[in-house]
This record gives sequence, C-alpha cells and structure tokens, in this order.
Amino acid sequence: MVSLLRTIRNARRVGLREWWRQLNYIGDAKSGKYIGSDQFGNRYFENRNGEEEVPGRHRWVDFAQHDFNATQVPPEWHSWIHHIRKEPPTNDSVVQNLSPPWKAPYIENLTGTRGAYKSYNTVVPKINAWDPKVKARA
Amino acid sequence: MSFALKAAVANTGRRAALRPAAGLLASRSIHASQPARLADPAFSAPPPSASPSQPITTIAQKGSNQLSLEQPQNRAEYVLSTLDKVTNWARQGSMWPMTFGLACCAVEMMHMAAARYDQDRLGVVFRASPRQSDIMIVAGTLTNKMAPALRKVYDQMPEPRWVISMGSCANGGGYYHYSYSVVRGCDRIVPVDIYVPGCPPTAEALLYGMLQLQRKMRRSRKGVLWYRK
Repeated sequence: MVSLLRTIRNARRVGLREWWRQLNYIGDAKSGKYIGSDQFGNRYFENRNGEEEVPGRHRWVDFAQHDFNATQVPPEWHSWIHHIRKEPPTNDSVVQNLSPPWKAPYIENLTGTRGAYKSYNTVVPKINAWDPKVKARA
Repeated sequence: MSFALKAAVANTGRRAALRPAAGLLASRSIHASQPARLADPAFSAPPPSASPSQPITTIAQKGSNQLSLEQPQNRAEYVLSTLDKVTNWARQGSMWPMTFGLACCAVEMMHMAAARYDQDRLGVVFRASPRQSDIMIVAGTLTNKMAPALRKVYDQMPEPRWVISMGSCANGGGYYHYSYSVVRGCDRIVPVDIYVPGCPPTAEALLYGMLQLQRKMRRSRKGVLWYRK
C-alpha cells in the first residue's frame, strides 16, 4: 500500500527522473523488474514481491504517449498485463508461434481523430443542421 | 497427426515472420470499402507505419484543424489555449452524469458506480437532477413515449452538456429497431457525443466511454476558436 516509506524507497530505486514521470502519469511511485516493451514503446514492469506491491497491482505499464489510453496496449501484452497468460510475449512461445498470418497490425482506438472508422453509408443523413426559413407574413 | 500440427504451427510462424510489416492509413476516406481502396493507386504506396517516435495518433492528426488549434501562433492564443486547458481539466475532473436508466443497460451503469469499477475515483458522481448534471447517459431502449421526456431532461441540463448513448438500443434501436414504438437511436432526439456499443455494454466498456469523453473534453479549444474567428 502507499506509504511514505514505500514512496521514498521506490523513488530511490528508480531515480529522481523516473519517479517524477511516474508521479505525473501513474500517480504512484512504483519499482519493479522491467519485463519488456512493445512496438509502440510502452514499457511493462512487474514486481511480484507481495510486501512491496499489492497483488493485482503487481504488473503495470508505462505508456509512451502523453495522451495515453488503455487501447495502446497491443493484444499480446494485454493478455500478459491482465494475467490471461503467465509469461510475457517475449518469452511465450505459444504467443510467438501462433500468430495467425491474416492478423492485421494492431491499431489503437482512433475515435475522435481523423483516422476514426466511418462505415460505408448511402442513407440520407438523419440529422441535418437547422436551416431557418422564415415564411412571408401575410 | 501431431507432426502435421507441428508443421502447421511452424508454417504460421514463418508466414507471420515473412509478412511485410504493413502500417495503416491514418485517414480513412468515408466512401471507400476495402477492395476499392486497394485498387486505388494513391493507397498502394506504403502507408506510414506506427513507431514509438511517431504514434498513429500523431499521424492521424497531421494537417488537421485540431492540430492547428492546439498549436498557439501568438501570445493571445497561448494564453487562451492555456485557459482552455484549465477549463478542460476542471470539466473532465468532475463529470456528473444524469442517470437516464431505461432498461437493462442501467444495471451495468450501476455496476460502473459500484465498488469494482468505482466511477467516483474519476470524479464521476450520479446526480438525480438534470439541473446539476453535465452528462446524460442514455442507458437502454428509448421508446416513443419516453422520447419527449428525454428531450425535456436534456433541455433542462445546463451548458456545457454531453450525452453518452449506451448500448445498441440507444445507439440505433438495436433489438427493437423494427418495433413500432421505439425510437431508432437516441441521436434522433438529442445530439450524442459518445456511443458505447454492446448489448448491454459491460461496466468496463461504459467506463472506457467515460474516458473517451474525457479525451473529447481535453480536445476542446473554445477560446482559441473564438479568438481566431
């Protein structure tokens, strides 16, 4: 759990710069073993010492982007960080060998950007901007 | 049998390794299906790929109005965009949704409020009055009979206000799309910001929708927009 002692200990372990980054993005001082990083540059950590991390908070990700969200974690690492698979994809031979050939490259959720998915549509738009037309008064 | 399986596994691995690393098109055009895009010579050039130094969101933003708004060009704009950011921060930190629970989606909405997904850690607190809330979560089937009430509740909410449409019934009628008494999507009644798909969406999905709404709030640059006009 969060305590002053733990914060000081973890800050000393990870260094001042990393600690400041963690305070800004994770909101907690965490230290653990670096497990790997994905193709987007997100870094994954683990600390399985029950004295230092509460079980359930022992795997975490440090996002590469400033504007982060959970979909930036690719599926292979998702399965690791959510404890679906025990081994990280760098060690997991099943994940490495059973990647189907039809699999498209992973994209994060692009909602709200210009890359957002728009379905093919031939229907007349349901919503139209209000165009006020004043009738001539008698 | 086992040998064949092993060979198949090895083959898939090999094929995956040999496959060219295809990137993705940042800007998808509206009226182009997949084969049409493949035939187009403009799209056959290798698209920009996502790398740590240039994430896909950056590529998608290139040359957009939003990017232009986020980059202040003079001092006044710098001040205004900073004020905008402060406003966005304040808004996204206390999103108070009006609960418009209409059907089974409302149960999932309650789960979002409960201990496991704990919306309160994001500052999301349900309000029972539309006059105190700034988000409306339309959770469930919107019937013709309920539609005027929904619109009235929406009209009573103070500006700025946002609407989250939760579940396929609220998104587009869903299962009851062909019913005589159901509105085919609550976006026929109120303007919707975030559509959460699912029947019903999980509490996790709804919470993710709230996070997406926060993202939308963060993008707002009303002050800069006003100044440029």
